[in-house]
Amino acid sequence: MYKTNLLSLIFICVIALSHIEQSSAHAVVTKHSLEIAPVRSGKPTSVTLDFNSKIEVGLSKIFLVKTGDIHESVRFSNGRKPGQVVVELPALDPGEYALRFKIFAADGHLTEDIIRFIVKP
Amino acid sequence: MEGIADFLDSLVGGVDLVCYAMAIGGLFWVMVIVRPWNADHQRINEPLIQSTIRIIYIGGFSLAAIQLFKIILKIWLMAVILDKWPFPEFADTNQFIAGIIRSVLALFLALYCYRYLRTAAYSKYHWETVVFWAVPLVISGAWLVHGASRFENTALLMALTVLHQVAAAAWIGSVFQLVNLWRLRKQNKIEETLWPDLLKQFSPYGIYSVGVIILTGVILGFNYIDTWNGFIGTGYGNLLMVKIILLAIALSFAWLNRKATIEYFQNGNSFHINNRAPYYVEAETFVLITLLFTAASLASQPPAIDIPNLTASWQEVLNTFTPRIPRTTSPTLEALIAGEAGRVAIVGQVPSEAATAWSDYNHNIAGIFLTIMSLFAMLSYRKGFEWARYWPVGFIGLGIFLFFRSDAETWPLGPIGFWESTFNNGEVLQHRIATTLVLVLGYYELKARLTKDPDSKLPYFFPILAAFGGLMLLTHSHVGFQAKTAFLIQVGHTLMGIFALILAIGRWLELTLDGKAKQISGFISVFALFQIGLILMFYQEPLY
Repeated sequence: MYKTNLLSLIFICVIALSHIEQSSAHAVVTKHSLEIAPVRSGKPTSVTLDFNSKIEVGLSKIFLVKTGDIHESVRFSNGRKPGQVVVELPALDPGEYALRFKIFAADGHLTEDIIRFIVKP
Repeated sequence: MEGIADFLDSLVGGVDLVCYAMAIGGLFWVMVIVRPWNADHQRINEPLIQSTIRIIYIGGFSLAAIQLFKIILKIWLMAVILDKWPFPEFADTNQFIAGIIRSVLALFLALYCYRYLRTAAYSKYHWETVVFWAVPLVISGAWLVHGASRFENTALLMALTVLHQVAAAAWIGSVFQLVNLWRLRKQNKIEETLWPDLLKQFSPYGIYSVGVIILTGVILGFNYIDTWNGFIGTGYGNLLMVKIILLAIALSFAWLNRKATIEYFQNGNSFHINNRAPYYVEAETFVLITLLFTAASLASQPPAIDIPNLTASWQEVLNTFTPRIPRTTSPTLEALIAGEAGRVAIVGQVPSEAATAWSDYNHNIAGIFLTIMSLFAMLSYRKGFEWARYWPVGFIGLGIFLFFRSDAETWPLGPIGFWESTFNNGEVLQHRIATTLVLVLGYYELKARLTKDPDSKLPYFFPILAAFGGLMLLTHSHVGFQAKTAFLIQVGHTLMGIFALILAIGRWLELTLDGKAKQISGFISVFALFQIGLILMFYQEPLY
């Protein structure tokens, strides 16, 4: 009987563990490329956001917000490093903008945050 | 409906931990302390063992249900926030897989206890089988914690967090069992000496559990907080500090119980063990449940180590509590509404002084209400001032004030409708619940003081509702703010949450104890209310 129990335990553990990959915690941006490389007007730009954890890209959304709080969905993908996201910005006119993201971290926390930036001529 | 989902999300984490403590802690209690297979069946009798098993399977069934509900809530939140159906992507996430596995394992554990263990409660084999089911359940939780997310020391952090959770469950789940044990003792369903005997056995076991909690907690703390400022000036550090304070309060009650037990076994004096310890255990339960909700709230904060640029200095934290002249004049509603568009704008945001002043006024006036009420409450203990015992009527006035002032941009003062604002904004929903809570609190406590029935249960409403209010303050979210601003708002609310809990347990003990202990508890309770009043009276919101 004890053997049966032990086997069941090992079986359940193996099943439980084999289906799980590494997940992530509450997501915050720890650094972003806008801090060191401001966006220049008139040409598409890639912006890199480094999160403190792994992001479920398929369950997240990033918007470019223009004057008047007009939201425009932008494309983004996983970067080279873990927790890194690369956002593709279209060519922009000079002015004030923001990146608004709704991010699903693998620990199940949905985080909303905003990064404001200025596009210089 | 995003508001409800958001609010529920912050609460279910705490409920999850309570259920986990009932199931896993209950198992520890049986395997380490009760050990029914070795015991005399007259002593560890059917009522005791069956009610012990009941707590375990209720915990297991509830854990399975709450884990499933968490997943449904995530789906709901994602569908609303992301404006799309989250499948098939969500099915591949660890949250979904680990959550489902945990839910199924909890269900199996509960079903086994319900179906088989109840009929073989003295069988060692059956108890060991439940433990075998519990092990993968405990392990599966590792993929649902903060540590699993880290890029460094992942396995170590996951293991330490699980160990931390298990030790907490062992302690807290056993305290739940002690509450059950005393209930049976009061009903004369168990032998009189079983209460002190099991309390004695629990003592070293509790010390070991707390030792593991502290050891794992310290290592985890150093991994998530790397500076003193991170401990003092972030939401994560602040909630950790709350956990430490709650742990200290719970340990004070544990120490009093240990003292009562030693006294009983050394000189046979049963007064404290029968007239004090049971109520200290109940008070400890209040504290430990709050501790679990705080732990769940902590899990939703970004670790301090990740936000060095968004950390407040100790001077900024201290400034939040600096005494100042309370604001007794409010900006006009027109000025507030005029500033709202700029305040909530994403591009071209303009901080609103009117919004800050409006909030300061609300908090400061609420503080004046509570401070005056606490002074009346203090007065009511003096001879000739019995009329002051109706001080809870102030809660009704406060509730009406909050109803109109809490969220001015919403109904009845603002343009946003009642239902729209309540169900689309978690913070407005929490304010509405808090307002209702204050009104209900005032109504029932007043009714309790007016009743002539000496056996009325009405007085117990107040501490239970006050404890729930404390829970709400500790899980209160201020969404849409920058982390530092949110923290500076949070820090006052969490301190009030601690005092609300002290108010609750003080009043509970005032109702259950007698003599000098009753008076001291009553005074502590009223003093906590006074402190909440002071915090609110000097509250100043950062400009945002």
